[in-house]
Amino acid sequence: MSALATQAEAAVELRQAGRQRGALAAAWIVALLAILTFLVIYPILTLLFGALTDANPVVEGFNFARVSVANFVTVVTNPNVGEALANTLTACTGGTAIAVAIGLAFSWIVVRTNTPCKRFIAAVSVLPLFAPPLVAGVAWSILGSPRTGLINTMFKWAHIDLRVDFYSLTGLVIVFGIYYAPYVYMFTASALRNMDPSLEEAAEVSGASAFATLFSVTFPLITPAIISGMLLSFIVMLGIYGIPAVLGAPANLNVLTTYIFKLTNWSPPLYNTAASVAILLMIVTAVLVFAQQKVLSGRSYTTVAGKAYRPRSLDLGSWRWVTLGLAVVYLIVVVLLPLFALIVAAFRKFMFIRDAASLFDARMYSLVHFHAIFDNPLTLKSIYNAVEVGIITALAGGALAFAIGYTIHRTQLAGRRSIDVLSTLPVAIPGLVIGVAYLWAWIAVPGGLYGTIWILALAFIARFMPDTVKSLSTSFLQIHRELEEAAWVCGRGVLSTIRTVVLPLASPGVIAAMTLLFVLAIRELGSSLFLYTSNTMVMSVLLLDYYEGGNLGKTAAFSLVQMVLLGVLIGGANWLSRDAAQGSVARSG
Amino acid sequence: MTATLEVNELRKQFSVGRPAVDGVSFAVPPGEIVVLLGPSGCGKTTTLRCVAGLEHPTSGTISIAGRVVSSPAQGILLPPRLRDIGMVFQSYAVWPHMTVRQNVVYPLKHRKIGKTKSTRMVDEALALVGLSEYAERPVVALSGGQMQRVALARSIVYRPQLLLLDEPLSNLDAKLRLRLRDDLRRILKQTGMTALYVTHDQSEAVVLGDRIGVMREGQLLQMGTPSEIYNRPADLFVANFTGATNELTGTLIQRNGTFGTVEIGQGQRVEASLLHGLAPGDKVRIAFRPENIAIGANSGGNIVRARVSDRRYHGTQTVYDIDVLGHRLEALELGTAARHEIGTDAAVSLPRDALWAYRDQGSLAEK
Repeated sequence: MSALATQAEAAVELRQAGRQRGALAAAWIVALLAILTFLVIYPILTLLFGALTDANPVVEGFNFARVSVANFVTVVTNPNVGEALANTLTACTGGTAIAVAIGLAFSWIVVRTNTPCKRFIAAVSVLPLFAPPLVAGVAWSILGSPRTGLINTMFKWAHIDLRVDFYSLTGLVIVFGIYYAPYVYMFTASALRNMDPSLEEAAEVSGASAFATLFSVTFPLITPAIISGMLLSFIVMLGIYGIPAVLGAPANLNVLTTYIFKLTNWSPPLYNTAASVAILLMIVTAVLVFAQQKVLSGRSYTTVAGKAYRPRSLDLGSWRWVTLGLAVVYLIVVVLLPLFALIVAAFRKFMFIRDAASLFDARMYSLVHFHAIFDNPLTLKSIYNAVEVGIITALAGGALAFAIGYTIHRTQLAGRRSIDVLSTLPVAIPGLVIGVAYLWAWIAVPGGLYGTIWILALAFIARFMPDTVKSLSTSFLQIHRELEEAAWVCGRGVLSTIRTVVLPLASPGVIAAMTLLFVLAIRELGSSLFLYTSNTMVMSVLLLDYYEGGNLGKTAAFSLVQMVLLGVLIGGANWLSRDAAQGSVARSG
Repeated sequence: MTATLEVNELRKQFSVGRPAVDGVSFAVPPGEIVVLLGPSGCGKTTTLRCVAGLEHPTSGTISIAGRVVSSPAQGILLPPRLRDIGMVFQSYAVWPHMTVRQNVVYPLKHRKIGKTKSTRMVDEALALVGLSEYAERPVVALSGGQMQRVALARSIVYRPQLLLLDEPLSNLDAKLRLRLRDDLRRILKQTGMTALYVTHDQSEAVVLGDRIGVMREGQLLQMGTPSEIYNRPADLFVANFTGATNELTGTLIQRNGTFGTVEIGQGQRVEASLLHGLAPGDKVRIAFRPENIAIGANSGGNIVRARVSDRRYHGTQTVYDIDVLGHRLEALELGTAARHEIGTDAAVSLPRDALWAYRDQGSLAEK
């Protein structure tokens, strides 16, 4: 009798515990959804509201009385917007065409030919990824400005009757093309590596020439990779502010991003118009992102068997020196020339260069620009602010991304699908649009986030959320589920298992993802533009300030300071994550 | 249409390690199927790829139909497309972005053949491999075996002078492999093409090959008809690789013609076939097949005492471990009934034709 009673009691207890666990899980999901809504949905909704109204948010707050689609239509049909949109699409299409040509050529050279120094070429092919767009833009304005540009000066000095003008749509297309080729390269190179070389050998045995093989077998087979690299580079160009800001401003050439910023800098600021154009930019981006995801998830011809194929290298004969030459030319154009230009401009007292002799005249060089920028208290403050925002973003963003990734991939909780969708949403939102959205979300809220360092950090966390979740997830998806299940069987709870098993094993990936987040946050410009105030000035914005102030020497000097700083940070990050990786290897060994 | 393949002193040295192919010579007369057989890493695939022109030999000559296609010494190296060969790959290598017909017509497009004629040739090739109804399907909708049939059709549609097959069956499941193996020989013989076939599977080699070449560490150890390879293996490795896994060591006491008396310890003598030029007093190793040991037989010569130490029942056959003079040997008995108990002593007969004595150069495992 009493045994039965104890059994019944135990059952009740179990049921209670189950209910408690269920409530806890529900609370967890609700909390995550609330955070994501706060970070992503709320700002986008206010942006949408901004696009549909003509009420000034600073003066009138959120005035729902004047909401109408007509406001949005009026803005979008404005000829200036049309021109900016046309410029954007032209620049991105042209840039993408160049990027595809370069990226495809290099992936073929690196993966499929016997060109010498292939490791070097592979490294060069992704180097431009590390150049902040604004710095690249500044360097090319020093090189390619129609009057004072170094290239034209050299042409004049050499009596070559040729002038270049990078303050133009053509200039924009070229700079876009050479700097965003790595996106195409990364996709196509890995597709080529994963492709069974006997598919190409079969074509050759069948009687096709190397050229015919390339166009009838190789390229058609990696088409999904080409298209998705192409779309990605187009999407990135669409959202870039730094390059068009620098190269387009002197010629009064607007693309959507620069146009949006201009609108908020008008006096009085045209926040509603900016919101409308931002929505337009977001729609274009979202359509392309959707197309890219479709291509990526579609049928891929390249086998992902994880099989290591016998590397196939086409004997190019003496042509291999030509392909090596191409790589060297690319290195000169994307890295060495711009770097040279920045160094000359940063150390030279006056940018006027009469001839080559004057270029190498040591008396013309000094540290005057460096003194000037560090005499400005804003410089150090901006560096300090950038690092502070970077650290907050990395820690908070990393922790949130881990929680989201774990919930999506390793639990069966109801609602995890919506968390997945919400956290991937920012993929389709350019940084600049996030900036405008956060502006709309907080500028009218008194005593709120606007003007603090936190608004920058939150915007960055939202902006980089999809990438962070993805890279963190791969780090713990590699940990076999059974390792966790073993810990549960041993009597550990979920949280304790994460702490004692998942985190230690995933730590290299987690550290790597956080340092990447840190670096991305430090160089972010597009969203910072709308969210900084004089107290929260960050490096990237200050650099733009120097450029717009018209002093190339100071701009170049600060560009160099930023590059060195970023180089040190990226190097340090690499070292840190390698160290962590070794640590975990030592533990598991 | 069908041609002789001659390979002479072929050598291929990759940037690291020992030569992958080390002085291989053989010839394939028109219409014959030669199979290169050997364990992985023996150089058989590299030899085939050199013949195809996908790999560039270090030295030696390769000629097809009397025309030298590769000779580093003379500076001759014809690209694959000019060799007029067909090739079937281990991974099928059918192009997934095309239909069956597009795959098969591909080689004809590069040969300037008129539309009506090429359509007829494709139909013939597809009929030959039994895929006529699948012509318009995308290849990715096919099974592995069907894909390999497409690859075969693609390689024979233009009637090349020489067909190369690189382990074409090894990616298929066991049942399919057997069926396609028999089909393959029929199709090859029907077209009358000269073929060079590479495999590590001895049963495939025996069924398909007119002649088999056994390779090891870049060298061709023996080239002969399947019956020669199975009944008179040239050395211990060939014997072992083709299934003669039992080994006894001993000393040759005396020769009598092609046979010799070998002392295998404790005064026990057996008679064995001498496949190497051996003299009395030489240390020898004797190899023989588990199938050729008859347990409990008192006739047939070479009767030795043995004890059954283990027994593994396989259903249609039974494998016994038996101890003979301290050597552990395997014996195989066909049939669904296992007749010998573990622990029993039995007389064992080792027929002298099935015992092959070779000069003792250390055991294979130590090499």
